[in-house]
Amino acid sequence: MMNSKKPAYKLTDKDFRQINRRSLFGFQLGWNYERMQASGYLYTILPQLRKIYGDGTPELKKMMKTHTQFFNTSNFFNTIITGIDLSVEEQEGIAGEETVVGLKTGLMGSFASIGDSIFAALIPAIFGAIAANMAQEGNPVGVFIWIAAQVAIMVFRWKQLKIAYKEGVSLVTTMSHRLAALTNAATIMGVFMVGALVATMINVKFAFAPKIGNVPLDFQKYSDMIIPKLLPALIVGAIYWLLGRKHMTSTRAIFIVLFVSIALSALGVIAKG
Amino acid sequence: MIAWWQIAILTLYAGYQILDELQIYSAMSSPVFAGLVTGLVMGDMKAGLMIGASVQLMVLGVGTFGGASKIDANSGTILATAFSVSSGMKPATAVAAIAVPVASIMIQTDILARFANTFFAHRIDKMVDEYNYKGIERYFLAGALPWALSRMIPVGLALAFGGGFVTNVAHVLNTSWKWLGDGLTTAGAVLPAVGFAILLHYLPVKKHFAYLFLGFTFTMLFTTLFGSVQTLGTAMTEVTKKFTANFNGLSMLAMAFIAFAFAAIAYQQSTALHDSTNGGNGENGAAAKKNTNEEGEITDDEL
Repeated sequence: MMNSKKPAYKLTDKDFRQINRRSLFGFQLGWNYERMQASGYLYTILPQLRKIYGDGTPELKKMMKTHTQFFNTSNFFNTIITGIDLSVEEQEGIAGEETVVGLKTGLMGSFASIGDSIFAALIPAIFGAIAANMAQEGNPVGVFIWIAAQVAIMVFRWKQLKIAYKEGVSLVTTMSHRLAALTNAATIMGVFMVGALVATMINVKFAFAPKIGNVPLDFQKYSDMIIPKLLPALIVGAIYWLLGRKHMTSTRAIFIVLFVSIALSALGVIAKG
Repeated sequence: MIAWWQIAILTLYAGYQILDELQIYSAMSSPVFAGLVTGLVMGDMKAGLMIGASVQLMVLGVGTFGGASKIDANSGTILATAFSVSSGMKPATAVAAIAVPVASIMIQTDILARFANTFFAHRIDKMVDEYNYKGIERYFLAGALPWALSRMIPVGLALAFGGGFVTNVAHVLNTSWKWLGDGLTTAGAVLPAVGFAILLHYLPVKKHFAYLFLGFTFTMLFTTLFGSVQTLGTAMTEVTKKFTANFNGLSMLAMAFIAFAFAAIAYQQSTALHDSTNGGNGENGAAAKKNTNEEGEITDDEL
């Protein structure tokens, strides 16, 4: 092994800008089933790798190969891993390869789950619900509120690289508790909002009004007397149960709901509210 | 009829939205934005927003987890809005009749794009061996093509050739098969429930069920109250011209603020608890350093 040759290059702000630009506008373009975000990871740090190891050196080829191995994490947190990685590579050079591989595989899973739950599920759910609520009344403002929120998140994605680079590995341990607390708080907000959505966004009512003697039995009226929005709550409860069945996917559930709704509507049980 | 320039803009948007979703994630890749854009291009923003809103709610809990394909709600919204406006199909009907089938069929083209990119990954391996840095970057950026084309080709073809067919379907649904048209409209109203149920499966409901009840009950009470006041207000303006007050519906943003307050309380409590057991942040940092040995490997990976 031709190690122990410590690289002399120090990353500058210009490097950070380049990595962020490549990450924000290019990280997932090469996504594929075989190695997922691997080529994206290499692409974001390729210019910096060339500066650290030097063009045409065997070290560079070795590290380029390392970085084309399987990688998949949240694209909202990937530059945290990149930052920690580069702080190691800059100090240790090729000798840090094992550390880097360990770091990447160790961190990508945990960041994927936190990133997916906060940025791919909760934030789109909350802001999407607000936008959809306004849009139903023909008001596009909610859409722009959501876009503004996403721009704030882009700023956050831009900043995290340098912080991760400076703090290095210790960042993960100092951050983990705050992240767990944040995820917990965000899920509370998510659960509350789902409750709110069930009460407002499912506009169906009972159309069923059988005559008992001469008195029509208005189902919707009686269900409103028990509790308003009873039918939407029952529907969500039923679909929740359905989704918990074996071999059930969200796409299948959508089609089942589609057909059952058409049938119930044709039979005159439910109608659009 | 859909004009050629409308087809061109919508096809370009279909290609842009998937790249946006993969990269900057600006919310311009959301169904509700797709509805807005398509509505504006087609000249009926309101129909677009309504379709976009319904589809948005339907896929609320459907995220891309670990690179799994999800139903292509955006392409579904584009086609549903375009055809709803051009053929006169009711927006709520178009959600169930067009957006859902299109969105689920287009899972296949998503899978195709992800497969196609495997080819570029192998080209990149070759370029690494040859120290061809420009080549690595070129083949990486080429990955944008399968992604964009996987949306642009089906959406463009459907817009160009699907119009007549959809107009016929819309006509039948309004006349001889009205029961089906009404059924599809009802289904369009129920479909958001799927999104909420998926989200509930994804969230820790068992742990936070109390907040589900709070959210539902607060909103149910307020929305009934606001709705009744609106009805009253409308009736009053008919009775007397002196009554000029204008009542709005319940603001979802206001409910989100209540939810945020609960979340903030929970966050403060859990960090305060953690800080008091750990003796503050300073020691927390020191403890973190202890978990890291000289080689920089993490020995205590609690994340």
